[in-house]
Amino acid sequence: MWQEVAEVVMRSLFISGTATVLATSWSIPIAMIITAKESEFRRALLDVANALVAVPTVIIGLVLYLLFSRSGPLGFFGILYTPIAIAIGQAVLITPLIISLSASVLRETRSGIWEMAVSIGATERQALVTMVAESFPKLLTTILLGFNRAIGELGVALMLGGNIKGFTRVMTTVIALEVSKGEFEFALTLAGILLLVTFAVTAIVRKVSKTA
Amino acid sequence: MIELKNVSFAYVSEDVLRNVNLAFGPGVTAIIGPNGSGKTTLLKLAAAIYRPRVGEILIDGVNPWSASETVKLLARRNVVYVHEKPIMLRGSVADNVAYGLRVRNVPAEEVAARTEEVLELLGIKHLAHEKAQTLSAGQQQKVALARALAVRPKNLLLDEPTANLDKNGWETFIELIKELAREGVCIAIATHDRLLAMRLADRIALVENKIVTFVESPEHTG
Ligand SMILES: Nc1ncnc2c1ncn2[C@@H]1O[C@H](COP(=O)(O)OP(=O)(O)OP(=O)(O)O)[C@@H](O)[C@H]1O
Ligand SMILES: [Mg+2]
Repeated sequence: MWQEVAEVVMRSLFISGTATVLATSWSIPIAMIITAKESEFRRALLDVANALVAVPTVIIGLVLYLLFSRSGPLGFFGILYTPIAIAIGQAVLITPLIISLSASVLRETRSGIWEMAVSIGATERQALVTMVAESFPKLLTTILLGFNRAIGELGVALMLGGNIKGFTRVMTTVIALEVSKGEFEFALTLAGILLLVTFAVTAIVRKVSKTA
Repeated sequence: MIELKNVSFAYVSEDVLRNVNLAFGPGVTAIIGPNGSGKTTLLKLAAAIYRPRVGEILIDGVNPWSASETVKLLARRNVVYVHEKPIMLRGSVADNVAYGLRVRNVPAEEVAARTEEVLELLGIKHLAHEKAQTLSAGQQQKVALARALAVRPKNLLLDEPTANLDKNGWETFIELIKELAREGVCIAIATHDRLLAMRLADRIALVENKIVTFVESPEHTG
């Protein structure tokens, strides 16, 4: 059993880690764009992100399933029921959360840090770099919260991954499956590890936000 | 020299300042007026941080908002605005003071020399290696001023610079500004500190009811 546990845990960490990296790579730039200037469009973008923060995971799962399924518009990629599909799904899932939180972090730094930097003679690019560097601990916090949401969700992993043994099984899907089979020991072990991971991330978040 | 010509500005829809015409020339211009009258707004417009809704601002003759990015940067580098609530970056006091020089790609030895010079000038050399964000409000205010002076701006805009200073800090500040004024730097200071205005101001601008008016030049008493 332990080998399977280790394998599932590693896979979960890897998939959700990838999802977090993906989501960060576009969410932070979008948050920077939203906060760089005031405009109706940017404000609307933020409203949409805020509204999507709490969207149920099964809805993201369903939408992406329709896109990725063989007859769907992105079916030709053939990634449904692969780890890639889960990673993309989770990345989409946590994108609104990261955009929303990091936009508010950046907005705070904008009025102070950005103005100071520009006024003391930084180019707009340098000012932006300073702004991101100064908000780094807080941005990292939002990213880790995103990771926690990704690794703990079930809907996307189940619908896009298909819970295929040795390939797309992650902690949450295994827990759900094992419980439905009546195998509580395996489920409880994984649940414990999942909690541990979440707590560890939360502890890091607290540590990081203290240094901020 | 910074000139504002027919400048109006609104944060949301209603104008905070309307049809402002004034110039911050060599020497000290004190800007007074009640809370919320628009002193900070006026200084941020003059520093080209905010863009006027109508009208134009000229920094040493250049309108940064109609210039190319390069010219805009050069114009902005002639003026420094210091926030009323000091903005400290993570890192040491020395790092903070060096920031304006580093973004100008000043060579490292010169950065070190000029940083030390201004820290000395403000009497905060002993704080050089402290974390800036853990300092007291008055200490941070001195660091923010040191950072501004390090880049030797021709135009200096100070927002409530003495709000947190003790008696010694206040005297040091007054002497420092007098010296800069003698050197021909154009200085504008938004303040509620009447004594400061009396000791330093060559001109006083009053901000009230969205408009700016010059009041009689005071006699220097210091
Ligand atoms: N970021 C902002 N968004 C919207 N309104 C603002 C903003 N900053 C200032 N205001 C408004 O603009 C007006 C002028 O504010 P400003 O900060 O320029 O006043 P001030 O003269 O500097 O006041 P104080 O003496 O308290 O420093 C105020 O009515 C204020 O509410
Ligand atoms: Mg003010």
